Amino acid sequence: MMFAGPATILFCAVVVVPFIYGLYLTLTSWDGIANNKPFVGLQNYRDAFADTAYWSALGRTAIYSVISVVLVNVVAFFLAYLVTSGIKGQNFFRAGFFIPNLIGGIVLGYVWKFVFNRAFVAIGTALTGHEGASLLGTTNGALFALILVSVWQYAGYMMLIYVAGFMGVDDSLKEAALIDGCTNGQAMRNVVIPLMRSSFVQCIFLSTTRCFMVYDLNLSLTKGEPFNTSVMAAMHVYNKAFVYKNYGVGQAEALILFIICAVIGMIQVYVGKKGEVEA
Amino acid sequence: MLKDWKRWTAAAAATVLAVGMLGACGSNSGSGDGTKITIFNSKSEIQQQLEELAESYGESHGVDVEVYYSSDTVAAHMATKYAANQPYTISMVDAKDVYSLGAEHAIDLSGEKWVSETDQAISVDGKVLGFPVSVEARGLIYNADAIKKATGKDFKPESIKTTDDFKNLISDLKAGGMESPVGVMKEDWSLAAHYLPQVYEEQEDPAAFIKSLHDGADLNSNARWTSLMDTFDVLVENNYAKGDKAISAEREVTEQKLAKGEIAFMFGGNWDWAVLNQYEPTKNMGMMPVPQNDNDMDVQNKLVGGGSKYFFIDNSKNTSEAQQKAAKDFLNWLSMDKEGQEWIVNTAHLVSPFKNNTLEVADPLGKSVKEFADKNMLINNYNYLPDDHYSVLGANFQKYLAGQEDRAALAGQVVDYWKSNDMKTIQ
Amino acid sequence: MATQSTTRKSDNDKAIIRQRIGHGLMIAVLAILLVIFIWPFFMVLTNAFKSMSDITGEPLSIVGSHGFTLNNFTSAMRKMHFWRVFGNSALITVSATVLTVLVSAMAAYVIVRNPRWTASKLTFAAMVASMVIPFQVIMVPLVSVYGGYLGVLNSRLTLILMHVGFSVSLAVFMFHGAIKTNVPIELEEAAEIDGASKWRTFWTVVFPLLKPTAATVAIIDAMAFWNDYLLPSLVLTDKKIYTIPIATQVFYGTYSTDIGLVMAALLLAMLPILILYLALQRFIVAGVTAGAVKG
Repeated sequence: MMFAGPATILFCAVVVVPFIYGLYLTLTSWDGIANNKPFVGLQNYRDAFADTAYWSALGRTAIYSVISVVLVNVVAFFLAYLVTSGIKGQNFFRAGFFIPNLIGGIVLGYVWKFVFNRAFVAIGTALTGHEGASLLGTTNGALFALILVSVWQYAGYMMLIYVAGFMGVDDSLKEAALIDGCTNGQAMRNVVIPLMRSSFVQCIFLSTTRCFMVYDLNLSLTKGEPFNTSVMAAMHVYNKAFVYKNYGVGQAEALILFIICAVIGMIQVYVGKKGEVEA
Repeated sequence: MLKDWKRWTAAAAATVLAVGMLGACGSNSGSGDGTKITIFNSKSEIQQQLEELAESYGESHGVDVEVYYSSDTVAAHMATKYAANQPYTISMVDAKDVYSLGAEHAIDLSGEKWVSETDQAISVDGKVLGFPVSVEARGLIYNADAIKKATGKDFKPESIKTTDDFKNLISDLKAGGMESPVGVMKEDWSLAAHYLPQVYEEQEDPAAFIKSLHDGADLNSNARWTSLMDTFDVLVENNYAKGDKAISAEREVTEQKLAKGEIAFMFGGNWDWAVLNQYEPTKNMGMMPVPQNDNDMDVQNKLVGGGSKYFFIDNSKNTSEAQQKAAKDFLNWLSMDKEGQEWIVNTAHLVSPFKNNTLEVADPLGKSVKEFADKNMLINNYNYLPDDHYSVLGANFQKYLAGQEDRAALAGQVVDYWKSNDMKTIQ
Repeated sequence: MATQSTTRKSDNDKAIIRQRIGHGLMIAVLAILLVIFIWPFFMVLTNAFKSMSDITGEPLSIVGSHGFTLNNFTSAMRKMHFWRVFGNSALITVSATVLTVLVSAMAAYVIVRNPRWTASKLTFAAMVASMVIPFQVIMVPLVSVYGGYLGVLNSRLTLILMHVGFSVSLAVFMFHGAIKTNVPIELEEAAEIDGASKWRTFWTVVFPLLKPTAATVAIIDAMAFWNDYLLPSLVLTDKKIYTIPIATQVFYGTYSTDIGLVMAALLLAMLPILILYLALQRFIVAGVTAGAVKG
């Protein structure tokens, strides 16, 4: 009890209590700032379900998340493999790939916006001879840009977890497999990867939830443009609650987002755990 | 092993101790016996100047003044401040925020001396709640040097009244070697919070006009819509960035082109000077009304604008009477005292909304706005648009700018927006 | 005999050569990837030393036509009160990170070793679920409860404890996985037979084995605390206790951003965290090898 106490108490105080109060607020038609908070029952949820812009933002977020999660984890695993294979200067490389994470979300978006709109366009002009448009000017281009930057940012972060995973695998096990006649690929598939299961569960879970809740990057890189076609779910929720001053509905929509994320997360952790028993 | 354990315990204890000490000194920040007031600034351009003012004003008036800024949405920032019971003494917000917050959170300023000196204060239910910080207006920004260089003639903005005049000038500019004389900003606020609202504002009764749209009136046949969109088309045709490129044009680049004279015109407002000024601009710039063929309400001679950014003083129990008094004194000083007036005009480079402030504005765009304001040639802002108006219709307007939909479609979307609106804000 | 050893030797040579080629290739691939990864960062580095006019006009040049300038740095440092906010950020980040690592490791240990307790199941599930709560959901309730009702905002201590509260779930999640896979229960049983208390067993036997994970958690959390904007902006209202990200907000305007100042501030702010990372990275390696020797 003494062991788990401090963590649990702090967790309840700053997460659970406000969350429950937030739950209550979804049942009011509060505008976010007035003193009175009229009780309206489930009206906000009805409004949320009828908000087509919200659902298309959610759909968009799902597409973005699936592509990003796959790419992030493939790149991160590959990088982690390379920087733990005992080559010269691997510490240097690890530090290098991690650098994107040292830049916080908002600044990151501004820097990349600058890269997309200015640097890429300038390079494109130099290569093709005529001035091209920026990717951020088209719907698919903006989505692509969001995915690219997410991969760039999270690959180094997830690499860190995979590196810890690789280092947790006893080298002697892999060597034994190689001596038994496994090829490098087989040893990787049958010995190393199963032992790194917890790294995979962590990375996939983390990258999925982060992608689903993307906000900072969305705001600073595309701001929802062009034509509001790059507004992701969290941004829609924020705008609904604070910019359009519809706090109750925004809060209800955020809660729906939470439930979706929670279900996906639970499934992932569950599947991961089940596999653990088998292994 | 034992050593290790000791070390960790010691580290943990030290951390707890350090944290405890921090907490102790963090909470007694309200030191000093003088009154302390806080000012929230939502105009990032003047943050530096305001901070310096806080120091000098504080010293000379015996109050402790602190200035805060946040780049968050003003409404969101206010919401968290009020939720936490930590409102600012004076908050700078947009006009629409005074309407939504003022009745509940602002003190009545009706008795103040400055009220009679301005037409721009905001009243709700007969009480003056919002103190206007500056006057800002929208129109076409021109670079007269660039025009002279291309056409060889001095530019007289009064000579361009109609869209046709404007077209002729554009062809002269092109003949003079300026390939695309215009920059169009793609930002949703520029398109749907600045350009589109002119359609409402330049009607005899904007609220009645919006109500007619709510009832399904045909916007596309409206004379004002037609004349403004005709001009917009001319702007788009001559925009240096076309199609998809128009949608990714960066505001900084557009302003730099205007400052350097690579383009001659841009739709904007006197707030743009803060950006233009970073690119070594000529002083030979100014603002003129958006040319239109339809001259109802004398729109060819007027800019659209008025008070912009308002101070209100918090009325909650978190703000003591002494603080409220100090806050009122500050607003009085800003509007009535010679020093305060000078600060507004010469330090913060704002156009004063007060008639008794006759100081000359230094920046060329502000100077234009001041001239129009002094001649009573401003059409009022319509401050009652719903909060999502600029975002929803801005997205549609961007499609029009990119050439992905035609004018009738855009008009239809504007009407649809109003049809489905609950009209709560319209008055 | 002799021939056998020579063939083996040449086999060995071949293997070594193949390995060398393999490593060479890997280094080449990594180097190319690294250049791509670092390039945007390089853009920040070069543009931070240019005037606003050059940043907009010629973003790709290494030195702008207005020349090399330190103005962005001096002006950013002055406007954000660099040393003061730096001190606040450092104190808050260090305290919150140390606390998070300690309390989460302990909590995860209890949860892993008592999988049948309802309390531990419930706590773990709640923590995992909480990781996907969009912050916007608890933002306003949080300030209502701690500002409106309890009035404890505007203190560094509150911020540190909130940081810990928000980050324990992820940290517990990571320690949970590590304890399960890397800490054999036999070691603890041995220690207990030797007469060690639970508390001592944890710190002398379990925690040392968790060093790689602890270092990872520390880096991730320290970075998150160092860069966090939203939570500190809600909690800290007095300028004297501002952190770096809040202080840099003044460079972001509603309509335009002074990107030169932003980039200079970014470079100033990331140096310490880069150093921390480089330091902890060694520790991860050291921790693993130390564990291997003991095992």
